[in-house]
Amino acid sequence: MNLRDSAERLVRASAFERFLISAAALLLSIAVGFVLILAAGRMTTCGTAATSFLGVGFCYDPITVYDRLFLGAFGNVFADPLNGQFATTLSETTVLMFTGVAVAVAFRAGIFNIGTQGQLVVGALATAVSVLAASTLVSGLLGTVLLVPFGLLVGALFGAAYGAIPGLLKAYADANEVITTIMLNFVATSVALYLVQDHFADPESAATQTVPLPDYAVFPSTVFRPRDDFSLLAFLFAAAVLVGIYVFLERTSFGYDLRTSGIQPEAAEYGGVDAPRTVVTSMALSGALGGLGGAVYVLMILGNFQTGIPSYGFDGITVSILAGNNPLGVGFAALLFGVLKSGSIVVDVGTDVPPQLVGVLRGLIILFVAMPEFFRMIGRRVWTFEDDPSSRPVADGGSGGETDE
Amino acid sequence: MSSDSFGDLSWRRVVGGAAVLGLAVLAVAGVVAPESDAGRLLDILTAQTTLAATLRLSVPIAFAALGGIFAEKSGVINIGLEGLLIIAAFTGVYLTDVTGSVWMGVLGGVVASTVLAALFAVVCIEFRADQVIAGLAVWLIALGLAPFASQVVYGGPNTTSVETVGTLTIPLLSRIPFFGALFDATPFVYLMFVAVALSWYTINRTTFGRWVRASGENPKALDTAGVDVQRVRYAAVLLSGVLAGVGGAALSLSLGQFTGNGATMVNGKGFIAIVAYLFGNYNPVGALLSTMLFAGLDALQLTLQARDVFAVPKPLVRTIPYVTVIVVLALFGRTRTPEAAGDHYESGDD
Repeated sequence: MNLRDSAERLVRASAFERFLISAAALLLSIAVGFVLILAAGRMTTCGTAATSFLGVGFCYDPITVYDRLFLGAFGNVFADPLNGQFATTLSETTVLMFTGVAVAVAFRAGIFNIGTQGQLVVGALATAVSVLAASTLVSGLLGTVLLVPFGLLVGALFGAAYGAIPGLLKAYADANEVITTIMLNFVATSVALYLVQDHFADPESAATQTVPLPDYAVFPSTVFRPRDDFSLLAFLFAAAVLVGIYVFLERTSFGYDLRTSGIQPEAAEYGGVDAPRTVVTSMALSGALGGLGGAVYVLMILGNFQTGIPSYGFDGITVSILAGNNPLGVGFAALLFGVLKSGSIVVDVGTDVPPQLVGVLRGLIILFVAMPEFFRMIGRRVWTFEDDPSSRPVADGGSGGETDE
Repeated sequence: MSSDSFGDLSWRRVVGGAAVLGLAVLAVAGVVAPESDAGRLLDILTAQTTLAATLRLSVPIAFAALGGIFAEKSGVINIGLEGLLIIAAFTGVYLTDVTGSVWMGVLGGVVASTVLAALFAVVCIEFRADQVIAGLAVWLIALGLAPFASQVVYGGPNTTSVETVGTLTIPLLSRIPFFGALFDATPFVYLMFVAVALSWYTINRTTFGRWVRASGENPKALDTAGVDVQRVRYAAVLLSGVLAGVGGAALSLSLGQFTGNGATMVNGKGFIAIVAYLFGNYNPVGALLSTMLFAGLDALQLTLQARDVFAVPKPLVRTIPYVTVIVVLALFGRTRTPEAAGDHYESGDD
């Protein structure tokens, strides 16, 4: 059997199993979160218990929290499908689609790009600064038509360049990309802070941020209300990018090289794949997608660059892992995380439970998806589960280096 | 492989030599012209407070690095050290606050870190999770959990201030210029030197150390010899939890507060620890030396920020340790990792 067939089979055969594992991991995380909310409710003090189990009173009621978290994110969507909370959910989803697919592309190539956060910061700042500079040249509808694509391009290019650095270091100096990308996240945050403080600060603002972009230089709010910072156009663009990346990975020869490098690096090299070049290109592509996420964040949500960017890059890791590193799956996983991020605002306003809960869930989900063997064991006990030892459900790209299983 | 590691070794010498030469040039320039930038930099470098800060900043990194050495030598790459430091740093302060005793706080930090390491061990060893992904999960869980708990208990990502661990000053010796800092430090600093020596001894001179090394290099042989590979790995990962726990608790209890904004007060120290032991070639003494290099740069940048010596903007000064880590990793990335690191080992009769 040739390599292509076996590699294809490996991915397809486990697609359903992957879905089951992701769903199970999600449920298990929610269950652990449930206990955590109860435990947190014992650590704090309150006048009256919000709920009680087995005669013990707890300050926080997990059911209320989860209700706010998951349903709150949709607002009153049936009465008003364009409501602000739902718009927030979708705009969070849009940015997460980019960071999720950015991580997925790298993982598929067998590279752990933890630096999407930094690549997003670099892309966002570059977009904010260059679009501001270019916005004096054109205006009106023509301005939007020219400036938004220009901003996206700049974000992608800067993200690609920043992503290529750890790629080059890995390809030619064998420097572990997990460490270099994490270090580059710190560097990106500090350098962005410096650049905004010393060079691009808005003189009229006390906060560390750049001058706001004019209305014609950002994504037009299509259908939804302008104040909700969501653009259907940006969302559709993100969806198109996911489909594009899917087609690129599955249908092009470079996409094939990239995937093979992730599953079987030795075989890929034997088959004539230039390994260092693939590493650099994959990281540049991953960085470009992260940079695009930053550009969309600036052009749709912020309207300028502000320091203290939310951790979209780290959420992207969970989104990608939950989606089995599949670009189309990233869309659904991003929506789930968009719900969580938007819902955490509702939780923050409506309950006393800290919104950082979502941060804990983010880690738990990764942990549980990373241990498919656990669910297989349970599965085998409950019903006869088709056990395929050759499938590596989580990170077919992740386990890159080892093939001797 | 042998020629590779030899080449690596000579690289180390070249860079080491260049560093010594650079320092010598700086020293001469500083002595000749004390009013120049070189003179002022030399002044900072030779200040007793700089060494004191270096030692203080070394503690969390060194303990995490020692833990990382045990885990990775046994074949389990523990990327989650950062998470262990975070959880220990928070729990240390929390339990100090609750019990009123700093040492109970340290114990609490160690327990919290070890529990999280145990979870990591089960996931990796029992459920064959990809070690890197599981390690990242440990980091992200702690990154969420510590600020969450802090918010619940203290109403914000930062805890209240608690009692700190005082310094232990050895009379007379502490008055030696510069090196006096070695004798006027927190108990954690002394403990760090003891832990380094003990770790070196354990790895190189004890049966357990031999098992750990075999478990990472040739698990099959160890299995054949009748030693349970998985047990050795469990022990090594738990030990990494204990060590990182001391480091994390030391970090927060030296300052008396846990700050949980952004990357938390741990701020990448767990990842720097990984580079420290890679650079130190998995040798505890080497790891300590490279830790002190990174911590020294951190101390230097803190002093530079505080004294405003050069006109370099503060955010850029702050990147010095991170950039150094990247450069070091680029030069020494080819460190030979244990043969079976990252691989799951399944005993034949399973």
